[in-house]
Amino acid sequence: MKKSLEKLLNKPLPVDPFMPQRAVITDIEELAPDHKKFSFAFCDESVNDSWNHIPGQFVMLTVPGAGEIPISICSSPTRKGTVELTVRKVGRKTEVLHRLKPGDYVAIRGPYGNGFPVGIMEGHNVLIIAGGLGIAPLRSLIWYILDRRHRFKEVYILYGTRSYEYVLYKEELKRLRERNDLKCLYTLDKFETEEDRRWADRKGLLTELIPMVELEPSETFVAVCGPPVAYRFIGKELLKHGYPESQIFVSLERKMECGIGKCGHCQIGYKFACIDGPVFPLWDTKNLPEMI
Amino acid sequence: MDFHIERAKVLPKSNLAKFLEGLKNLSTLIAPVKKGDKFIFSEIEKVSDVAVNYTRTILPPKKFLVPYRRERFSYSTDTLQFNKEFKVRDQIIFGVHSCDLHGISILDSVYLKENPDPRYLEIRKRTVLIGISCMPDEFCFCLSTGTAFPDGANWDLFLTDIGADYFVTIGSPKGDEIVLKLRKLFKDIEKKDLYLYKESTSKKKKAFKLEKLPDLERISQLIELEYDSEVWKEGSERCLGCGTCTNVCPTCFCYTSVDVPTLDGKKVKRIEFTTSCQYPYYSLVAGGHYFKPDRASRFKHRYYHKFVGYPYQIEKLGCVGCGRCSAECPAGISIVETINRLRGIDEKELREATEQASSR
Ligand SMILES: Cc1cc2nc3c(=O)[nH]c(=O)nc-3n(C[C@H](O)[C@H](O)[C@H](O)COP(=O)(O)OP(=O)(O)OC[C@H]3O[C@@H](n4cnc5c(N)ncnc54)[C@H](O)[C@@H]3O)c2cc1C
Ligand code: SF4
Ligand code: SF4
Ligand code: FES
Repeated sequence: MKKSLEKLLNKPLPVDPFMPQRAVITDIEELAPDHKKFSFAFCDESVNDSWNHIPGQFVMLTVPGAGEIPISICSSPTRKGTVELTVRKVGRKTEVLHRLKPGDYVAIRGPYGNGFPVGIMEGHNVLIIAGGLGIAPLRSLIWYILDRRHRFKEVYILYGTRSYEYVLYKEELKRLRERNDLKCLYTLDKFETEEDRRWADRKGLLTELIPMVELEPSETFVAVCGPPVAYRFIGKELLKHGYPESQIFVSLERKMECGIGKCGHCQIGYKFACIDGPVFPLWDTKNLPEMI
Repeated sequence: MDFHIERAKVLPKSNLAKFLEGLKNLSTLIAPVKKGDKFIFSEIEKVSDVAVNYTRTILPPKKFLVPYRRERFSYSTDTLQFNKEFKVRDQIIFGVHSCDLHGISILDSVYLKENPDPRYLEIRKRTVLIGISCMPDEFCFCLSTGTAFPDGANWDLFLTDIGADYFVTIGSPKGDEIVLKLRKLFKDIEKKDLYLYKESTSKKKKAFKLEKLPDLERISQLIELEYDSEVWKEGSERCLGCGTCTNVCPTCFCYTSVDVPTLDGKKVKRIEFTTSCQYPYYSLVAGGHYFKPDRASRFKHRYYHKFVGYPYQIEKLGCVGCGRCSAECPAGISIVETINRLRGIDEKELREATEQASSR
């Protein structure tokens, strides 16, 4: 019998990684049509106290009676006491979730995934590029960086979405624009209302903001999250401007059933998006066919 | 009495029925039985039903470790308290071939290396695996995958056919206990038994048609380099996308999880189902975006996962050469043929290989 395998069977039964923790919805904020931000507190105080995550990580959220869904954590680990998730209503489970009220129970397990490499990003410029709901995991990174502002050099936030109506975290993003320790550039697909025009720096695609960034590419780490179709274009534009492929990190979405490398659904090439990702350096597109 | 722990014993074939009876008295016995002109692993009522001379079962013994439908938790929607729903029993799986033992070892790595799954571990701890030697047919290629013999796999006892007897190697304390309990049925090994045991290795090897075996050296790199090959498209044109190949595979582990409420919606069961990367909805995500949109990319993915994915994920190939996917494919697609086409083995090379093999 192979000894290394024998070891696997001789272990005592582990704590069940599939067992979620009960949590209560403490607050619900309607951010945009079909987009809600939920705040949670775990019922078990000790879980609340010990909760820690890395920006870019996600949780598996049990929507009672409907099932489990992977959702990025949009709150920052630097702000303790609550876990926040922003969820768009797209299908059966998210629809049930959107019907819940403060005080209702859900169950959560996690945090899962690798998250953004915040440790190695320290001491460098950070360029954050968010498209649509992609701002959710990046909001966690933004607040993480701003709460440790002195550890990072220059910070840029590029954010694009459909129209002003669909801008998430409106107040927060407005206040960020007023700060002088970072630069924000916002774009919208549509320029129809007065609000659209007042909000955006530009009408058009997110990629068109990249040339406006005044950073030394080799000194910069880039964090990207957006709809699947956007990565190819954003990646191309970034490479064109000299950002190193090993310093561009994209957060990817795949179908996920387990979040811990057991169900196989999230495979991207030979990796599992749930444990090897969801954050990948752009360099991995070489190894992982169909990554973006 | 000298203190002595034995490594192997001899079981006369005439004692096999008694041995099986003994196993059945110890716990639930699962073994291959004949069904039509095929074989299946099944719970044994009468030990005379056990088929020791079979080539392959339709489904691997995996179904007794990870059932195709399995419950994980139940919870009530009011309290959201989760309860474990899985029941585990003691079982002995008898008559497992080397490839399937390796298949189970691969599942051991998948389920237990990182984020170990307590349900799988508990089932595995309470399962005894008793292997048996076998001879290959035209679909088998375990010699290429390095799984023709049980070395390196996790098992408790292994029976090697040496003519009038079985040479029984003991692979674990659990296996040793069984031998001890049924010791009256066994004989001590003699020099000639060991000789026959050693000889059985080359006997099995010789039973393979070498020219038919796929060459799996550098297969990971080959598949990465041939990612855009026409071979995938051609194969997928015959493929029906039915998922049989993954359902019969001893190493496939993909599943889908669903929460099923009772009629009044108050109580919910979390149930996992075996699924297949060959099904279109496998990679569907929100917004209706398919990451593996066409059959060709799904067809390719199975090979890619077996030969590139598993080596990265668990440091072993994900194929044990059992030949089930080829034997059961309704469209007659052969994994060996696909690999050979990928390697660019044409008629000429095949001829040369045959000549070389016969001159050896
Ligand atoms: C790491 C990660 C992080 C994520 N973070 C977030 C986040 O922060 N916020 C967020 O809102 N979401 C996030 N998601 C996505 C979220 O998990 C999904 O939106 C959610 O699982 C959808 O569940 P559902 O039951 O509501 O949708 P489903 O009912 O499963 O359907 C999903 C979509 O697929 C379509 N669909 C379903 N079946 C079919 C079919 N047969 N044919 C065609 N189309 C079909 C539906 O129309 C729907 O648009 C994340 C995903 C991952 C992997
Ligand atoms: S891929 Fe085919 S030959 Fe290989 S282990 Fe699976 S079923 Fe057997
Ligand atoms: S991805 Fe496909 S080939 Fe790989 S384990 Fe899952 S079902 Fe099997
Ligand atoms: S989500 Fe199950 S393996 Fe990644």
